[in-house]
Amino acid sequence: MAVTQIKPPERISASGKRTLADLAHGPEAIRLLVDAILDYAIFLIGPDGHVLTWNQGAERIKGYRASEVIGRHISIFYTQEDVEAGTPDRILRQAARGGRANDEGWRVRKDGTRFWADASVHALYDHGRLYGFAKITRDMTEAREAVERERQLAVEREARLAAEEALRSRDRFLAIASHELKTPVASLQVAVESLLLSRDQGTLDVPRTERGIERMDRAIKRLAMVLGELLDVSSLERGTTTFTFADMDVSRVASEVIERFAGVEAQDRIQADLQPAVIHADAMRVEQVVTNLVDNALKYSSSPAPVAVRVAPQAGGALIEVSDQGIGLGLDPASGLFEPFSRASNAADIPGIGLGLFITREIVERHGGRISGIAGPDRGTTFRVMLPQQPPRNSDGGS
Amino acid sequence: MGARRVLVVDDDPTLRETLGEVLTDDGFDVRVAWNGRDALEKLDGWNADVVILDVMMPVMDAFGFQSALDERPEPAPPVILLSAAPGLTSAASELGAVSVISKPFHLHDLIAEVRRVVDPMNGTAPAGA
Repeated sequence: MAVTQIKPPERISASGKRTLADLAHGPEAIRLLVDAILDYAIFLIGPDGHVLTWNQGAERIKGYRASEVIGRHISIFYTQEDVEAGTPDRILRQAARGGRANDEGWRVRKDGTRFWADASVHALYDHGRLYGFAKITRDMTEAREAVERERQLAVEREARLAAEEALRSRDRFLAIASHELKTPVASLQVAVESLLLSRDQGTLDVPRTERGIERMDRAIKRLAMVLGELLDVSSLERGTTTFTFADMDVSRVASEVIERFAGVEAQDRIQADLQPAVIHADAMRVEQVVTNLVDNALKYSSSPAPVAVRVAPQAGGALIEVSDQGIGLGLDPASGLFEPFSRASNAADIPGIGLGLFITREIVERHGGRISGIAGPDRGTTFRVMLPQQPPRNSDGGS
Repeated sequence: MGARRVLVVDDDPTLRETLGEVLTDDGFDVRVAWNGRDALEKLDGWNADVVILDVMMPVMDAFGFQSALDERPEPAPPVILLSAAPGLTSAASELGAVSVISKPFHLHDLIAEVRRVVDPMNGTAPAGA
């Protein structure tokens, strides 16, 4: 039964009496064919799992010679874990039941090294009686390693790209941070130097001094605000900002924000339409969102153009909408308006939007909400924020 | 010949007010604007001898301002760019600015530059001072 190192009959060429056609139709033909295959281990297994035949491919792949392996149980090809898990017999049972079973995994060679086998086991029936199995195994180690190498390279490539992007993001952060800080520092310096100049020229009177002090005060407040924003961005980006969620009415918060703005400059410009909308949210952060949006709308449209603020309850949450009638941001809100540092570091490409909108988006997203901006080419910008009734479970540091 | 005219364009109110005051003290006829669009209005019927121009401003930035300026029939006034933005030199060449001053800066440097631009032959004091 065993196909062991069958040599072609010597008489074929010597006598010339047997032709290749004779051979092809003879009983040895299949054995010769199977034995000659080097890329596949092809062998027969008895119903009890013992090896019955062995070909050259099997010897090449598994390292056993026919004499060493015939009669032994197929579990010698499996790893210890697979043997303990009963894999060899399970595969045979599967094949017996379904006619065929696929068997892929790490297998052990005679010398103990492993290879990745891609095998199929075929049950051999004769008149309903199982008399054994045919197993065809291919060594896929190299192919698998190639795939694994490719995967590893892809992972490394991705990591490298992420690192480069993080570096670029850091560069942009520094560029924007530097710009945002230089502006109030310049104001402060000019205010101070103008007072010194007046002093040197002997024109430093009380009104001039008072104006100078007010300007310095404004510049320092602006500086403090920018520093606060930069820390906010940094903390939000690292995810270390703690949110405190409680039931709160968005319309109450919006009304307080509007009151504060009305006190400053925009007495008649803000048109409010506020309906009670109670959600579970961080009131301080929602206030920051409304403040940033209203501030932005007032800044990007000139007086006396109105700014509309709307708060309304929605199915499953609250809607905040802030619209201005300004010239528009001239930017597509979908393309990086909310990114703090999404622009290339040259003057032409950095929008003077500052960090407020980025902070706003981060806060909204930590609440599990969404923000969208609709910017017309020459008429108005509307920012729409949807906050859900409940923030996502993993949103705050604590619970 | 009257005082030389300076238009200060910057969205930072503290900066433009202070510059307006200091340059007025120095004998210039000064107007201030808070963005490019505002600046175009201020230039209506009032030709500036020099424009001190911030780059990034809401509503209309320096680039929008410059292209609107180029469309006017009058010769465009020389521009001194004043900005904290990175890449100021490339912005300046794109805008055809005569000089750039990056924020923060010394007041006396700016005043000297304004004098030089409006009166290159005699950069010590503005005409009419």
